[in-house]
Amino acid sequence: MIHLSMETLVGLREAGMEPGAAAAREHLDACALCRAELERLHQRVARLKALPPLRPARDRWPAVRDRVRAERRRQRARFAGLSGLAAAASVALALAVSTLRQPEAGLTPAKIEQTMARSQVLESAIDRIDPESRVLDGRTAGIAQELEDRIARVDRELEMVELTEPQSRDSDLLRLWRERVGLLDALVDVHATRASYVGL
Amino acid sequence: MESFLLADAESVVARARQGEEAALEALYRAFEGPVYNLARRICRTKEDAEDVLQETFFEVCRSIGRYREEGSLWGWIRTIAASKALMRLRRNKYRDTDELHDELVGHLKEETHLRMDLEAALERLSEVSRAVVWLHDVEGYTHDEIAGMMGKTASFSKSQLARAHARLRRWLGEEVAA
Ligand SMILES: [Zn+2]
Repeated sequence: MIHLSMETLVGLREAGMEPGAAAAREHLDACALCRAELERLHQRVARLKALPPLRPARDRWPAVRDRVRAERRRQRARFAGLSGLAAAASVALALAVSTLRQPEAGLTPAKIEQTMARSQVLESAIDRIDPESRVLDGRTAGIAQELEDRIARVDRELEMVELTEPQSRDSDLLRLWRERVGLLDALVDVHATRASYVGL
Repeated sequence: MESFLLADAESVVARARQGEEAALEALYRAFEGPVYNLARRICRTKEDAEDVLQETFFEVCRSIGRYREEGSLWGWIRTIAASKALMRLRRNKYRDTDELHDELVGHLKEETHLRMDLEAALERLSEVSRAVVWLHDVEGYTHDEIAGMMGKTASFSKSQLARAHARLRRWLGEEVAA
């Protein structure tokens, strides 16, 4: 008698659609040896599933978090850069239009651009501080994290506003960019305070 | 699984999507164990498995916005982890065959009637065989899914699984046990 191969036995655990499955089952009914072999296979799989879970020796979260933060800052810088260009263009356009008819129309875009420029200055100040290389105490780290989270939320709102109608978005843009600058200011403060502790 | 690992998964995911770090960390804490275990079963070293853990969660943090709730959260994270682990195997130029192991183990067995325990036997399989056994028999992936992740065919996955079981059976000395 030719017994079932391991490939056939392994395949018998599938839904039973394998070619030759019917013949294999017939053999199985008649052959105690192959039935024992299939039982061993089931037991082996059960033992594999029951192996104790292995745990990492080190905490990799700090490394993940630092990469996430670094990438966020890169994206922010890119985003701010692009928006800066768009704003500069819209300011130029607004000024051109305003000289023709509406003297007050150019005010908001100009303010937006000022706020964006301020935002970029703060952003590069934070880059120079290089927060990832510093160890903050628990409370300071908590505050920094909260600020980073809020900046991320503002950035998401900014992206949404960028997609709306140009006529209606300027006041929203200005409000969000101002909020962003406020948060960045606070973040610089947090890191600067920490830096002065290090200096002492 | 996630209801067991992560209470209130829905709100954690919602907050993680907003980029909230505490929520991203909660995801990490909930799933670091199973992700590492999966990676460790596939990779050869602890260091590789830890790197896979890190790469997996970096990817999770980045693309949590693309996760759709119709699938299970653990299923989504697990597939990222499995792909990263398999990518690492490819990069490390794994051996496709375990003939070397056969020779070695056959030799040892003749001399000492060595009977390995399951952990040791699993360790001795080739990386590819071990990955297929683990993904199919423990994690429950189909041959088609494994083939997709490995860039191979389903029949490659099937034959790797059969060969792995033939070897495990021999190395575990089950012919004596039953
Ligand atoms: Zn038989």
